[in-house]
Amino acid sequence: MINLTGIHKSYSVGEVLLPVLRGVSLNVNAGEFVAIMGPSGSGKTTLLNVIGCLDDVDTGTYTLAGETVDQASDDDLARIRNQHIGFVFQLFNLIPRISALRNVELPMIYTGEHPAERRKRALQALQRMNIADRADHAPSQLSGGQQQRVAIARALVNNPELLVADEPTGSLDSATGHEIMMLFHELNQAGTTILMVTHEEEIAAHAGRIIRLKDGLIANDDGA
Amino acid sequence: MLNFFIDRFSQALFALKDNLRRTLLSILGIAVGIAAVMAVGTISKGGNYLVFSELETFGLNSLWVFRDRADKNPNRMIREGTGINNDDYQALSSDCCPAVRRISAIVSGSRGKRIIIQANNRYSNAQLQGVDTALTTIANDVIVQGRPFRVRDMTSRRAVAILGPMAVEDLFGAASPIGREFRIGNRKFTVIGVLETKSRDFLASIGSAGGQDANNRILIPYTTFQQMQGHKKINYLQAEAVTQAQASVAAEQLIAVLKRHNGRNFAYKSDTMDTYINTTQRILDGVAMIGIVAASVSLLVGGMGIMNIMSTSVLERTREIGLRKAIGARRRDIMLQFLLEAVVISTMGGIIGLTLGTGASIILAELTGFPLTPSVTVIIIALIVSVAVGIISGYLPARRAARLHPVEALRYE
Ligand SMILES: Nc1ncnc2c1ncn2[C@@H]1O[C@H](COP(=O)(O)OP(=O)(O)O)[C@@H](O)[C@H]1O
Ligand SMILES: [Mg+2]
Repeated sequence: MINLTGIHKSYSVGEVLLPVLRGVSLNVNAGEFVAIMGPSGSGKTTLLNVIGCLDDVDTGTYTLAGETVDQASDDDLARIRNQHIGFVFQLFNLIPRISALRNVELPMIYTGEHPAERRKRALQALQRMNIADRADHAPSQLSGGQQQRVAIARALVNNPELLVADEPTGSLDSATGHEIMMLFHELNQAGTTILMVTHEEEIAAHAGRIIRLKDGLIANDDGA
Repeated sequence: MLNFFIDRFSQALFALKDNLRRTLLSILGIAVGIAAVMAVGTISKGGNYLVFSELETFGLNSLWVFRDRADKNPNRMIREGTGINNDDYQALSSDCCPAVRRISAIVSGSRGKRIIIQANNRYSNAQLQGVDTALTTIANDVIVQGRPFRVRDMTSRRAVAILGPMAVEDLFGAASPIGREFRIGNRKFTVIGVLETKSRDFLASIGSAGGQDANNRILIPYTTFQQMQGHKKINYLQAEAVTQAQASVAAEQLIAVLKRHNGRNFAYKSDTMDTYINTTQRILDGVAMIGIVAASVSLLVGGMGIMNIMSTSVLERTREIGLRKAIGARRRDIMLQFLLEAVVISTMGGIIGLTLGTGASIILAELTGFPLTPSVTVIIIALIVSVAVGIISGYLPARRAARLHPVEALRYE
C-alpha cells in the first residue's frame, strides 16, 4: 500500500543543507501496524510527514494506494489527505473554540458533506472512541486522554485506509497511553493501516512491526 | 451551496469571538466610515434638492443683461449711464431674439439715495424695483393675492405696487393690503398684489442671496419709477430663455442687438441661471468631496484595524491552519475562511454604520424639515463599500494563511 524508494530530503538551515532522510526505501502492506522508532532528530517525524503527504521530498518516489504522490498537485494532496489519511498528533491539535463534535466534523466540511450526515458520522466516530458523552464539551474541558480520543475520532471520520500518528501517547500517562493503544488495536483489527512514531518500547510493542531509524536511514526493520 | 456558506459563516463568527475587543474596535472604525459615506450621499442629495428648489424660484431659464463696467476701451469707459434706455428696450421687445421667450426691463433706485417708504407711520426698507409685466413670470414669482401688472400699468405710469410678504408685514401688519395705499417718497401708491414667500434658507446661509431678501421687495411699473427719477434709463434686463441650455444663446442675441444700437458707446455682458446652477453644482461637489475624504480616512482606519486583527489571527492560529491543511483544506478553503472573517467584521461595521447614518438623517430631516432621507442607492453603495473594505483588508493576511506550508504550520509554537 505504501511504497517508498530512495527518499532523500534535506532542510536548509541558513547556508547549510541539513540532510534528514538519506535514502529511505520502505514497503508497508495494507492492514499493517507499524511503529517507527529512533533517537531524537533521526528523521521520524519527517518520514511520517512524507508518508502522510504533508511534505514533499527532494528525490525518490512515493506511491500510496497506487497514486504517485511525488507528482501530485497541492490540491490533489489535500484531497488524498482528506479521504485516505487520518492524522493523530502528540498535542492533539484540536481547535479550542469549537466543541468536540464540531472538531470531528471538520474533515467532512472540506468534503462538502451535508450537515446532518456530518453530525451523524461525527457522533458515530465519537461513540467508537467511547467519548460521545463529551460531544458538546470544549477541548479545554477534556483530559488529555479524552482529547486524544476526540482527535482519533476526527482522524477516522472519513474512513481513511491509513492512520499516521506522531507520538500519540507522548503527552499522556502510561495508563492512558495503553488505552489509546487498545483503540489503535481495534482500528487495526478493523482493517486500518497504522504508522506510528514513538520512542517508548512498551508502546512500540503494540505494533506488529518496528522500524528503527538512525541518521536518516533505516537501521533495522523487523518486518522487511 | 447554502450549507457551505452557513458553515463558513458560523466558523467565522466563532473565530471573531476570540478577539472580541480588537474586533469591536475595527467594527467601530468601519461603522464611522460607512456612516460618513451615508452622510455624504444623503447630504449631497438633500443639498441638491434644497439648492435647486431655491434656485428654481429665480426661474431656471433666467438670464440678466447689463452694461459691462469692466470694459477696458477708454472711449467707452468714460461714458456715464446704464447703457440701456427705453428705445433699446423697444427694439428688444419685438421678436429680435428667437432664444428669448420674454423679457423685462429692471429699473432700480439710484445708489446712495434712499427713498422713504411708509404707510401711516409704519416704514419699510424693502428693495424697490421697477419692472415690466413679464417679470413675475420670468422670476417664478407667484402672486398669492391681487393681480399681476398689466400693459396699461406701464403705459399710463400708474402708481401701483406688488409687495413681497415682508414689505406687507412691515407696512400693513397682518391685514389684507390689497387696495390700500402707501407712500414711496412723496408719491402715493396702491397695492395691487402680494408675492408668495420664497425659501432662501440655503442661499442665505451661504451668503449668496445677493445681500437682498427676496421676500422684502416692492415691485412697481418701471415707467413709473423712471418718471419718479426723471430719466429713461433701464438698469438691466432680465429675460427668460426658451430653455435652460439656450440661456447663453439668448443673452448673446440680446447683446448683439444692444451692440448694434450702442456698440460704440457701451459694452455689455450677461449672467445666466445656468452658470449659477453649474457653480452651485461645483460647490456641492466640493462639499461631497470633503465628505468622501473623511469617509475614506475612517474606512482606511477601520480597514487597517481589520488587517491588523486578521494578521494577528493568522499568526495565533498557525497551528490550526496546519491542522486544517492536514485534514484536507485546500489553499482556497483557508483563503475563503479568513476573507470571510474579514468581511463579517466589515459588514457588521457597515450595518451598524448604516443604522447610525439612517437614524441620524431621519432625525436631521425631522428637525430641519430638509429632505435628508437616505436613498436605496446610498444604502446599497454603503454595503458594497463595507464588503469591499473587508475583502481588501483581509486579502493579504488570508493569502499568507493560505500559503502556509502544512508541516511548518504544525511545528509552529
Ligand atoms: N522545517 C525544518 N527546518 C529545519 N530543520 C528541520 C525542520 N524540520 C526538521 N528539521 C530537523 O531535521 C531533523 C529531523 O527532524 P525530525 O524528523 O523532527 O526528527 P524526529 O522526529 O526523529 O525527532 C532534526 O535535526 C530537525 O531539527
Ligand atoms: Mg519527532
